[in-house]
Amino acid sequence: MQWTLSEEQVAYQEALRGWLGATAPSAVLRSWLDAGDVETFQRSFAAAGWSGVGIPEELAGQGGGLVELALTCEELGRSAAPSAGWLATVLAVPALSGRKDLLAAALAGPGVALLLPAEQVPATARPLPLSSDGTLSGEIPRVLAGGSAARFVVPAVAPDGVLQLRLVDAGAQQVHLSARTLLDRSRSVTDVRLAAAPSEPLDVDASAVLAEASDRAALLVAADALGASERMLELAVEYSKQRHQFGVPIGSFQAVKHAAASMLVGIEAARSVTYYAAASVDAQGADSSMHAAATKAQVTADAARAADTALTMHGAIGYTWEHDLHLFYKRVKLDERLAGSPAAWNERLADALQLV
Amino acid sequence: MDFELSEDQSTIRKSVAELAARFDDQYWMEKDERHEFPSEFYEAVASAGWLGLTTPEEYGGHGYGITEASLLLEEVSASGGGMNAASAIHLSIFGMHPVIVHGSDQMKKENLPRIVAGDLHVCFGVTEPGAGLDTTRITTFAKRDGSDYVVNGRKVWISKAQESEKILLLTRTAKFEDSPKKTAGLTLFFTDLNRDAVDIRPIRKMGRNAISSNELFIDDLRIPEEDRVGEEGQGFKYILDGLNPERMLIAAEALGLGRAALRRAVRYGNEREVFGRPIGMNQGLQFPLADSLAHLDAAELSLRKATWLYDQGLPCAREANTAKYLCADAGFTAADRALQTHGGMGYAEEYHVARYFREARLLRIAPISQEMVLNFLGEHVLGMPRSY
Repeated sequence: MQWTLSEEQVAYQEALRGWLGATAPSAVLRSWLDAGDVETFQRSFAAAGWSGVGIPEELAGQGGGLVELALTCEELGRSAAPSAGWLATVLAVPALSGRKDLLAAALAGPGVALLLPAEQVPATARPLPLSSDGTLSGEIPRVLAGGSAARFVVPAVAPDGVLQLRLVDAGAQQVHLSARTLLDRSRSVTDVRLAAAPSEPLDVDASAVLAEASDRAALLVAADALGASERMLELAVEYSKQRHQFGVPIGSFQAVKHAAASMLVGIEAARSVTYYAAASVDAQGADSSMHAAATKAQVTADAARAADTALTMHGAIGYTWEHDLHLFYKRVKLDERLAGSPAAWNERLADALQLV
Repeated sequence: MDFELSEDQSTIRKSVAELAARFDDQYWMEKDERHEFPSEFYEAVASAGWLGLTTPEEYGGHGYGITEASLLLEEVSASGGGMNAASAIHLSIFGMHPVIVHGSDQMKKENLPRIVAGDLHVCFGVTEPGAGLDTTRITTFAKRDGSDYVVNGRKVWISKAQESEKILLLTRTAKFEDSPKKTAGLTLFFTDLNRDAVDIRPIRKMGRNAISSNELFIDDLRIPEEDRVGEEGQGFKYILDGLNPERMLIAAEALGLGRAALRRAVRYGNEREVFGRPIGMNQGLQFPLADSLAHLDAAELSLRKATWLYDQGLPCAREANTAKYLCADAGFTAADRALQTHGGMGYAEEYHVARYFREARLLRIAPISQEMVLNFLGEHVLGMPRSY
């Protein structure tokens, strides 16, 4: 058994980290967030060739699998990059497996988004009723990156009761968007209303695709939270060495050290479970969905706790706008809710355990 | 609002502490190891008159309330005697409540003075293998036979049955399915624990080993009608009266145990040196102990409020349950941290915190589990649907 990243994967991680550091440093990131600009990042991310990593070549990607996608998400979380548009596209990739023509465009941005509430486990989303003329109507609140997507993949149920996935052009006049503001400005959600919007069918097994999207969402959101937690630990440790009280750095206080050590324990556990689950889902093992569920439930809940610890270690400075901590604090608090709360994922695990 | 103890209460507290201090940790460790009832301690408490603390004066007691009883048991436990000390006297102090309220004059005259004098040991027989906290589901049956009852059944977790001459025994005189209400058909007796008809077997257990916990096999135990407490079929109600005081007293014992553990931990933290300084200088050790102090103090306040309400004749179920919950948790956490503070020595019997730890764990289970306290608070205080 060998549990390390390959040389190639490590090189990829380092290159992406370097690129993000140069492209989206705090000052630049903040200027995007202040302006509500998500496109500049998405465009440069695609232009630099990152957006297709982890997507099979036959689907217009650059090859690799979920481990590479998790590496990407970890780095994006680490820099609080405005990555919702790319993430939404990645989650929708299985739905477009028969439409390579659309995939290349989506990966270059603007992307594709699954039309379901961002806080829901994708497989549990309520499908819209499909009219006999092939149009769709209904309102779906809080769609991840719904404001920047070019197309929506819509779970729909035909009059015969069969679940389908349908493609809707986001620019159609029957599609109405209403943006929402999130505390985490590095991601966005939008309420989407379809008023007899025309749609075309996607030739895929809808249930299987939504199940796959659920596993992917669980894993990738967890990887994002892992990256943001790592960054918060770095910030907290750095601050604890710099900040002096009673004539010594506060990092010399045992209670502060222990707080940091506890965060590290959580991060190491998160890394182990995340990459194991990524490999497991890629291999489509028998329990892979359970691994994804455990990862989402554990990692995002622990990251949310780590955020509180990091804030405590920073004291009041961590509460200010000028300090970067809040970028990551809000990032993991949203990750905890995104694609299903830990409670929702634990519920899925409990169901699988066949408890009474 | 007045947080001061009365003069009597302060005196009780101080005198009990002085008396209990005559029995040191060594004494309790040996009693625990030998599974031996602490007779010397019991005699000392009895001869100082404490067993009659809450018994009415006409039966030889002092007529004090639950507040005083809780102070007594807390101090006894805090002395390091823990649950071994508290359980040795607990039932004599307050367990006869149903008899005092509902028993016949004859029953009271015959028994209460003997309990006060320490000459009569008693135990409490409610729980059964098939009915723990679901009391109305007990099946031990008392069948009428002329002016007697004949009892058959099983009881479990009966503390001190080995040492007891009498038992306060809850039975069914009508089967669950034949009773109009589930709480009906239960009858309480206070009677001789006749060894010819009752086989008493101690349960091997984790701690509190100076006081036996037993399983009782009752086979045609004949009980005369005079030994019935109050009316037939009303037993559940009589027992119910005593549940809140029981929770408060257990809370007091948990609190005392937490104090004992904390005292030992602080002493060890100050004395033991590693890396050239006392280990108590480590924030990783000092903070948990300070945190336990805060939690014990807060739990103590909730207990004082609960006993005050009861003594004023006011409703106190919410407070009694809360006190039990908070004291049991604070006491156990303090014991756990005391053990951790001692490192490897905490695992050795000679430092006594292992004994406190084992006993403190019991109080998160008995007399009612923490989860059942939450059920009570959720359902009866918050008005949420019954969850079980």
